[in-house]
Amino acid sequence: MLGKQISCAMESGSTQFFFLIDKLRIQLLNSIESATEKDYFQEEISPFDSGVGLQMSSGHSVTTVKSNCLASVTKFAQILKILSVIYRLVQSNSYATKRDVYYNNTQLFGSQRSVDTIVDDISCMLKVSRRALHVMATSKGLIAGDLCYLEEDGTRIDCRSSSAAVSVSSNVSGIRNIVSSAKFVMIVEKDATFQRLLNDNFCRKLSPCIMITGKGVPDVNSRLMVKKLWDTLQIPIFALVDADPHGFEIMCIYKYGSVAMSFEAHSLTVPSVMWLGLLPSDLQRLMVPKHSLLPLTRRDENKLNSLLKRPYFASQPQWQKEMELMQQSKVKAEIQSLADIAPDFLSSIYLPNKLRYGGWL
Amino acid sequence: MSKQGRRHGSGSTGGLLILLWDEEAGAQRLNCTVAAAGSWCSGVEIKALQLDLKGRMFPHVSPSLEPDPEDLIPFTELHGSLRLLLSFQMKDARHWPSDWQSDVEAVLQAFSLANAGIQIHLKLKFAQKTSVRDFRAKIKAKVSRADQPPLLLDVSCPEQKRWFLSKPHGWAKRASWCQGGHPVDGGRLPLGIPPQAMDGGLLGDLSVRLVTLLHPCVLQYPNMPTELKSIKVLVYNPCNIPVSGPSGFFQTLPSSMDCQHLGLRGLQCPAHKDPEFRVGTVFTTEQWENEKKCDDEEQESSHLPVQQSLLLFLLLQHRNPFCSHLSDFVAADMLIEHHLEEILCNNKPAVMAAIRTEIGNAMKAQNQRKKQQEKLNSAAEVILSSTMSIVSCSSNVDFRNACFDLMKVADTHALSSHLGESLRRVMSWRFLPVGRCYSTQMEENLLHHGSTKSEI
Repeated sequence: MLGKQISCAMESGSTQFFFLIDKLRIQLLNSIESATEKDYFQEEISPFDSGVGLQMSSGHSVTTVKSNCLASVTKFAQILKILSVIYRLVQSNSYATKRDVYYNNTQLFGSQRSVDTIVDDISCMLKVSRRALHVMATSKGLIAGDLCYLEEDGTRIDCRSSSAAVSVSSNVSGIRNIVSSAKFVMIVEKDATFQRLLNDNFCRKLSPCIMITGKGVPDVNSRLMVKKLWDTLQIPIFALVDADPHGFEIMCIYKYGSVAMSFEAHSLTVPSVMWLGLLPSDLQRLMVPKHSLLPLTRRDENKLNSLLKRPYFASQPQWQKEMELMQQSKVKAEIQSLADIAPDFLSSIYLPNKLRYGGWL
Repeated sequence: MSKQGRRHGSGSTGGLLILLWDEEAGAQRLNCTVAAAGSWCSGVEIKALQLDLKGRMFPHVSPSLEPDPEDLIPFTELHGSLRLLLSFQMKDARHWPSDWQSDVEAVLQAFSLANAGIQIHLKLKFAQKTSVRDFRAKIKAKVSRADQPPLLLDVSCPEQKRWFLSKPHGWAKRASWCQGGHPVDGGRLPLGIPPQAMDGGLLGDLSVRLVTLLHPCVLQYPNMPTELKSIKVLVYNPCNIPVSGPSGFFQTLPSSMDCQHLGLRGLQCPAHKDPEFRVGTVFTTEQWENEKKCDDEEQESSHLPVQQSLLLFLLLQHRNPFCSHLSDFVAADMLIEHHLEEILCNNKPAVMAAIRTEIGNAMKAQNQRKKQQEKLNSAAEVILSSTMSIVSCSSNVDFRNACFDLMKVADTHALSSHLGESLRRVMSWRFLPVGRCYSTQMEENLLHHGSTKSEI
C-alpha cells in the first residue's frame, strides 16, 4: 500500500523526485570542469590519488622469475607460453578468452587462476591494457535499465527489458553508440539483490535509471562498463552494498580500484561513486529488527581495521564515520534484512526515499 | 696407541713415518722402521709399547737394526721428537707381489682417511732408488661421537674425482666447486659377539658406527643431476686402522640389497685390482637407463650427470671395562680382526639393513635430483617451443636478426639447438653458495694450515 502511494507520488512529481540527483549531477560536472589537469605520468606518483584511486607506483613491485630455479621454472614456462599465445592472437587479430588460453594446455597451467594472474602480470609488464593483449575475460556482470548500445560487431543491445538482465559485454571498449536517458546508475553488490529489484520492476518505477551488478567482487569488464557509463553519460553513480566490511570493500573496488589492477587504475576506477546504502547508520535509523543483524566475526573486525587504515578516508570523513559506527556497534547486516521490515521495503520505500532526499554519502 | 692416547684426552695430530730400506744394494730383505711423533702419541708408555710390539710381533729381530739418522731428521724437524721408533726386518722381498708398493700405499691412504690429523710419510729406499710419498689430508672434518673423542676424517675430494679442475667450464668457475665432502653419521649399531669370538676371549660391548661420504660434492649446484657410480666400504678396527676383508660377508651384499627399492638396477663387485680397489670392498652400481637421453656428445661435454662415489666407513668400536693395559687393547683388536667375518655374519640382518639405509639415503638425494631434472626439462621444452614460436612467426626482420645475432647463429634451426643448449646449461649449472662447502676461496688457507670443520 505504502509502496503504491510512493509510486504514485513518483509518477506525478518525477521532476521533483530527481531534483537532488540532478543537482548532484551538476555538481559532478562542475567538479570535472574545474579540476586541473593532472599529469598522471609525473615523476613521483603517489599510491593513492582521490581523483583516480589506487594506482601503481613506479619503481616498485618488481618480481624476478628465474628459469633455473625449481620453484619458479614452471611459472617461467607458463609466462612464455602465454606470451606466445598472445603473440599469435595479436598477429592474427583474433581474440581469445582467458578460459581458452587455459584449455590450450591445462597440464602446464594447472588452474585458471594461474592464467588469470599471468595475463595480468603481462599486461602490467608491457604497460598495456588487457584488451591490447587480445585476451578477454568472460564477463560475469549483468546490466539492466534505460540503456541501448552497439557492440563492436554491430549487435544492438537493449537493456530495457523488465524481466531479464543483459550480460555485461566482454568487449566493453568496443561498445559504441550508447543511448540512455538515465538519471543515475546504481551498482548492486549481489546478484540476489539485483534480481529482486528486477522482479520488483525497480528500473520502471524509478525510470530512467540503469542497474548493474558484478555479482560480488567485480570482474574487469563490469568495472570497465561502469567506467564507460560514467565517461559517456556523466550521471551519478550510486552503490548499493551490504552493511558489512566485505560490501564496503566491493564498493571501494569500483570507486578506487584494486591493488591487483592498480596499473590500469585510470581505465577502471570511478572516483565519483556515491555510497547509497545500506549504511550502518540506516540500521539504527530504520530500527532493523535485531534478529536480522549479525555479529561481526573476527575476520570482519580484522578487515574493518584494515579498511580503516586505507588512504580512502582522508577524503571521505562521512564514510569513516559510518565504518567507525559499525566498529562500535559490532554488528553487520545484509540488504535482505530490510525485507524483515516489509517485503518490498527495499524497492518501494528505502531506495526511493534515499534517492529523493539525498541519502547518499 | 692412538686409543690409549685418546683415553688420556690427548690430541690427534702428529706424524707417522714408514721407512723401508735395504742395508746394502741388492739385498733381498727389506728393513722397516716405524716412527711416530706428535700429540697423538702423548700419554702413551712408549717403552712398554715398543717392548710389547717387539715381543709380540718381532721376537727374532736383531736389536742393532737402526735406520739412517738422516732419514729421521726431516721428520723430527716437522713433528718434534720421536715418541716411537721401531725397526724390524721384513720377509724376503723376492716372494712379494710385484705391486706390493701400491698395496702399502693403499693401506696408508685408507689409514689417512680416518686419521686425518696424522701426516704419514712413506719413504722407500732400495735397489738404489728412493721414493717418497706423503699422505696428508687437505680438508678435515670432525665427526663427533657421544662417548668417545671426535673422529677426524679426510674429506678432501680425491684427485680422480676432481674432473672439474682439469676442464673448468666457462660458465662455472673453479672457485665455485666444493673441494671436500660432508660426512653423514649413520649412527651406532650394537653388535652381538658370536660364541667363537667369546671363546677366544673377546668380551665387552662391540658396536659399529657407519659414516658415509659422497664425492664430489655438488650441493652448490642444486639442479645438477648425479649418478652414484661406486660404493666403497672400508672397515676400521677400534684403533681406526683399516682392516682387510671380510670379503666373504661383503660378497653377499649385492644379493642382500633390494636394489629395485633403492632405485638401482644392480650392484656389482668387480674383480680387478685398480689402486682404488686394493683396500676395502668396492661395488659398482648399475643404473636404470633414462628414457630420454641427451645427445652423447653434448652429455659428455657437459659432464652430466656428475658421477659420484660413496665412501662407507664401518668404524668398529669396542668397550671392555677390564681392558686397561695397552696389551689388552692390542689383543682385543687382533681378536676382532680375526673374527670379523663371524661377527658381521652373526649380525648380518642388522648390518645389511644399516648399510641399505645409508645407500638408500644417497640414492634418495640422487632420485630427488632426477625428479627435479625432469621438471626442469619439461619446462625447458615449453620455454624453447614458445620462444621459437614467436621468432619463427615474426615477420619483423630486425627482430629476427637481433635474435640470431644474440645467439650467434644464422637461422632458426641453429637458433633452436643453440637456445636449447644454453637453456639446459643455465638450468643445470645453477650455482647457490652453501656455507659449509669448501670452495676454493679457502684454497690459500688449505695450503698453509689445512681446514677442519665440525660437520656432525
